[in-house]
Amino acid sequence: MTFLLIAIVFLLMLLGAPLFTVISALTLYLLFSNQIDSSAMIIEMHRIATTPILLAIPLFTFAGYLLSESGAPRRLIRLTNAILGWLPGGLSIITLVTCAIFTALTGATGLTIIAMGGILYPALLRGKYPGKFSLGLVTNSGTLGVLFPPSLPLIIYAIVAKVKINELFLAGLLPGILLVVLLSIFSIQKAVATEVPRTRFKFSEIGKASREMIWELPLPLIVFGGIYSGYFAVSEAAAITAFYVLLVEMVIHRDIKWRELPQVMRKSMVLVGGILIILGSALGLTNYLIDAEVPMKLMELIKAHISSPFLFLVMLNIFLLAVGCIMDIFSALTIVVPLITPIASAYGIHPVHLGIIFLANLQIGASTPPVGMNLFISSLRFDKPMFSLILASLPFMVILLIALAIITYVPWLSLALLK
Amino acid sequence: MMDRLERLDDTINRVEQILLVTSLSLMILIAFLQIILRNLFVTGLSWGDTLLRNLVLWIGFIGAAIATKEGKHINIDVASPWLPFAGKNLAGRCTHLFSFLICGLLAYAALKFIKHEAQMGNVTLLNIPTWIPATILPVTFGLMTFRFGLHFLKTLSGVGKFGIMDEREKER
Repeated sequence: MTFLLIAIVFLLMLLGAPLFTVISALTLYLLFSNQIDSSAMIIEMHRIATTPILLAIPLFTFAGYLLSESGAPRRLIRLTNAILGWLPGGLSIITLVTCAIFTALTGATGLTIIAMGGILYPALLRGKYPGKFSLGLVTNSGTLGVLFPPSLPLIIYAIVAKVKINELFLAGLLPGILLVVLLSIFSIQKAVATEVPRTRFKFSEIGKASREMIWELPLPLIVFGGIYSGYFAVSEAAAITAFYVLLVEMVIHRDIKWRELPQVMRKSMVLVGGILIILGSALGLTNYLIDAEVPMKLMELIKAHISSPFLFLVMLNIFLLAVGCIMDIFSALTIVVPLITPIASAYGIHPVHLGIIFLANLQIGASTPPVGMNLFISSLRFDKPMFSLILASLPFMVILLIALAIITYVPWLSLALLK
Repeated sequence: MMDRLERLDDTINRVEQILLVTSLSLMILIAFLQIILRNLFVTGLSWGDTLLRNLVLWIGFIGAAIATKEGKHINIDVASPWLPFAGKNLAGRCTHLFSFLICGLLAYAALKFIKHEAQMGNVTLLNIPTWIPATILPVTFGLMTFRFGLHFLKTLSGVGKFGIMDEREKER
C-alpha cells in the first residue's frame, strides 16, 4: 500500500507535478500514518519563513532581477570587453566572467542563459567563434556563478545545513575561480586553434566603459567588503544592495520605467515564493525523517559497505550529479542536504567543504545530459535540437568534471580562506 | 461558469499584485532604514525586525500563489517533452488534480494551525496576536487550491496550457 502510493506520487513528479505538492503529499502521508496532526507541517513552514536570515532572499533576488532587466548586462559586457577583449579568446572569457557574475547576483542559471546568452551568443558568432563551441559556452557559463556570493544556492545551503553564511561565502571563492580559469584556458586554446580574429586594445574605451558603469562598480565592494569585514550581516548587505540597485537603475540610469517596476517585483517574487514553499515543505519532510532516525540508518548501511572517505566522496559525486541533472538546485539542496550532512560528518568531511561539493556538483549536474535543465533552456532559447546541445556541451563537461574532482578531493581549496 | 471563475481569479490577482508591491517596497525601505538608524544613530525601530520577518512570510506565500496562477512552480519535467499531445493533456489533468487535492489538505492544516495559534494567545509587534499575520498561510493555500482546480477544469475542457512547464520555459 505504502509502496503503491509512493510509486504514484513519484510518477506524478516525473509528469511535472509541482515539487512542493509532491513533497507535501509524502509528508502528509507520513504524518497521517503516525497519527501526528498535519498542522505540524505548517508550523515548520511558518518557522522557516520567519527565520531572520531569510530576509536576504527576496532582497537579493529583487536586486538581481532589476539588474537583469536594466542596461547593466550590456554595460558589464562593454567594460569587460574593453579590459579583456584584446586577449586571444577574449570574448569567450568575457562570456565566462560576466555570466558568473550575473548568476551570482540573480541565483538563477536559467535566467543567465536567457539574458546574457541572448546578447553573447550572437556576438560570439559575429566574432567568428565556431558555432558548436559558442553554443556549449553560453549553455555552461550560466552555471558558473553559483559558488560566488551572494548566490541564492549558497544562502539556501547555509540555512538548511546550519553553517555560517560568511564562511560559505569565503569558501566558494577559490573553487569558483578554479572553474572560471580552467574553462578560460580551454577557450583560449580553442580560439587560438581556430584562429579567431583578435581586437585591438584601446585605453580610451576602458575609460568610457567604466564611466558608464561607475554607479554599478561599487556594488561588489558593498556586498563582499561589507560581509567579509564583518561590518554588515548578510541580510543587511542584501538590504543595502536592493536599495542601492533601485536607486541606480531607477533614478540615475532610468533604464526601467516606474510603471514597469511592479512587473519586475512580481517576476522576482514568483521565484522567491517557489523556493520558499519548497523549502518549507521539504523541511517538514526532512524533520520527520530525522526524527525517525532515517539518516542514522542510512549511515549504518553506507558505513557497512564503504569504509574510506575517498570512496564515499566518489559515490556522493555520482549521486549528486544525477540529482542535479533531474532536479533544480533549490529543491535538491532542501531535500538532500539534511540527509547527507550527518553521514558526511561521520566520514570526517568539513561541513563547509561539503557545502561547496554540493553546490559545485549540483550546478554541473544542471548541464549534464540527458536531462539537465540548462540544456532544455538553451535548446529553447537558441532554437537548437537537444542532441546538438549535448554534443556542444561535451568538451565543457569534461573540463567541469575535472574541476569537480579537484574541488572534491582537495579540501584545501575550499577551506584555505577560512583559517 | 468558467468565465465567471476566471474573472474572479483576475480580481484576486489584482489585489495580490497590490499587496505584493506594497509589501516588497515596505520591506526594502524598512530594512534600509534599520541599517541607517543602527549605524548613524545607534538606535532602531523596535518593531522593525518583527515586521520584516512577517513581510517575508507574506511576500513568499503571495509569490507562491501567483506562481500557481502562472504555472511557474518549480517541478521536474523529464517525461512530458517526449509525450504526444494527448499524453500531455492527460498528464496535465493528473498533476493538476493531484496538486488541487494536496493544496486543499494544506489549507485545512493551515487553518488548524491558525486555530491553535489563536488559542495559545501569543502576541507579536504592537500587541497584535501572532495568528493574524499568519492567516496568510490558509488564505494563500486556499487560493492555490482554487487555482489548481481552475487549471484542472481548463485541461478538462481542452483549452489552456497542458504542461505546468510551458510558460516557465519561455521566461527562464
